[in-house]
Amino acid sequence: MPTYGPLRAGTYLWRNKGKSLPLVGVIVLAVMLVSGIVAMMDSIPLSIRTIYSYSRHYVGLTPRGDPEMTGKIRQTIEQEAPVPLDRVMAVRGLDLNVMSIVGKWPFVILALKPEDMSYYMDHVGPGELEGRMPKDGEPEVVLSEPVMRNLGVKIGDVVLGPDKPEAYSPYKVKIVGKVHSQEWTAVIPYDYVAANHFPPVDALLAFAKTPVEQAKLDHWAEKRFTGERARVFAFHKLEKDTSEMFRILYKILDVVVGMLVVVITIMMGMLISIFLSQRVQEFGLLQALGYTKKAILQRVMGEMTAVVVGGWVAGVLCAYLLLNVVRATLMDPKAFMLDPFDRTAYFYTLPVPVAIYTVALATVVARFRRFDPVAVVERRLV
Amino acid sequence: MTSLESASLVYADKDGDVFACHDVSLEVRPGEFLGILGPSGSGKSSLLYLLSGLKVPTQGRALYRGRGLDELSDAERSRLRLQTFGFVFQHPFLVGYLSALENIMVARPDQDCRDESMALLEAVGLGEKSHRLPHELSGGERQRVCVARALLGGPEIVFCDEPTAALDHATGIKVMDLLRSHRGTGSLVVVTHDPTMLEGVDRAVHMAEGRVL
Ligand SMILES: Nc1ncnc2c1ncn2[C@@H]1O[C@H](COP(=O)(O)OP(=O)(O)OP(=O)(O)O)[C@@H](O)[C@H]1O
Ligand SMILES: [Mg+2]
Repeated sequence: MPTYGPLRAGTYLWRNKGKSLPLVGVIVLAVMLVSGIVAMMDSIPLSIRTIYSYSRHYVGLTPRGDPEMTGKIRQTIEQEAPVPLDRVMAVRGLDLNVMSIVGKWPFVILALKPEDMSYYMDHVGPGELEGRMPKDGEPEVVLSEPVMRNLGVKIGDVVLGPDKPEAYSPYKVKIVGKVHSQEWTAVIPYDYVAANHFPPVDALLAFAKTPVEQAKLDHWAEKRFTGERARVFAFHKLEKDTSEMFRILYKILDVVVGMLVVVITIMMGMLISIFLSQRVQEFGLLQALGYTKKAILQRVMGEMTAVVVGGWVAGVLCAYLLLNVVRATLMDPKAFMLDPFDRTAYFYTLPVPVAIYTVALATVVARFRRFDPVAVVERRLV
Repeated sequence: MTSLESASLVYADKDGDVFACHDVSLEVRPGEFLGILGPSGSGKSSLLYLLSGLKVPTQGRALYRGRGLDELSDAERSRLRLQTFGFVFQHPFLVGYLSALENIMVARPDQDCRDESMALLEAVGLGEKSHRLPHELSGGERQRVCVARALLGGPEIVFCDEPTAALDHATGIKVMDLLRSHRGTGSLVVVTHDPTMLEGVDRAVHMAEGRVL
């Protein structure tokens, strides 16, 4: 039956803000808690994907146990590649640790020959260069903006040096340029590394002409070099490994969030039960006046829908705001990744309103099953 | 209109059965003013609950227009109470977060009855206090709101369980006058132990120990 005037679902909630707002508040907090935890967890694989995203642009190949292999690998790839190659370059690498919310992660400064340097910069994370490119053979690096933010360094700072056990180089390696790109990149002249660092082994980077062809090349390389003395690095492999690495972590997360939802739901169930017991008189009176159980139930469920949906929406908004604040104040300054619009995080909060709604429905139905309005109007119930 | 045929309402008690109503046969006729008198515990309230379908007799039958109330579904009995009957309960129950005016409007949720509710509120002398919440009203004022609520929409039968118990004599008379004026619209059944409130009554029955004498 359509309800005019005073008994619309909003009336009770609005006029009893002292009771309904705490209910909404608990849901808001629960949603923020769950989505916050999940978004923070998600930031780890997101960081991995972002930091190593530069490797999307090529397939990397290193010899195994035999430095002579590099030449053979090059030959194989140049003769047998299923797609036209744009460029194959011999490179070396220097280890550099970057920071993440779970500690230090390895990152590679690629040592490039002069003729490859600008090709690499143009193809992988192009952007405006502040400062200059490194001079041949000199201990000079160019880093991209996120790497510098992460390390907390500026042009002119030393990133590797004789006095740094974890970032060793016999000479002080200075930053001479900064690339304004979202891609994480770091390059250093090949000659400097070849002259000063072990091992004297070249790796190869093979570039295809388009992303589609690159993917073909990656897959081909993986198959082709299986069983050979070569190791293949392809971005999709990294993505796959990352997902696998986090699969168990996500299972644990499922259990934790599941328990959290159970606890929150039990708590909310008790709150709602108290909330509704306070209204037994109202429901008894309305029933005595001729309201059907169904009509009263519909009204209560309307109110609960408003509370639960309102709480969830407000919770998602608050979580979104909070994650943005966290990103701006804690994550961005270190170039840590965090997605404030993480769908998985918000998806994980859905059991909260569903469980609360179910408990509310069960509570009301249980209460109504053997409810005698006369007991209320005769004041036998307090 | 509505009637009881050898109806009993029995409560199980640890000392045996309690007959709140015992073998009662009674009819409420169209347009009549029926008074019910009797000492405390004699079954007056129980009689009203049976007549109005709030309780179903444990023995015998309750009928509305010849149809057994026990044949109706819970929802149909509810609709009957909402649309056909009005009820003033012994205790002045109101919805705590609704104003006096809104508490009257509650009796007719399916139509807009603000004006009629306001007129009734004025008729019970509470026109000035329409916005007040129940806890801002005295016991007698609450009872008068309940009377107005029972009269909203001109029900076929208005059942009143001691509607004047909480009122001073003069106000009681006024409320009874208002209730009596309802007779043009439908019947009026009033439980009271104050016979002076039954002026102009068509018929009065006396109850004792669950029986109509
Ligand atoms: N739920 C119940 N369980 C047991 N006995 C009950 C119950 N409800 C009512 N009774 C008994 O039924 C009898 C009639 O009760 P009822 O409320 O109809 O009396 P009444 O005439 O309205 O009394 P009063 O004038 O005090 O309101 C009483 O003796 C009462 O004790
Ligand atoms: Mg009584």
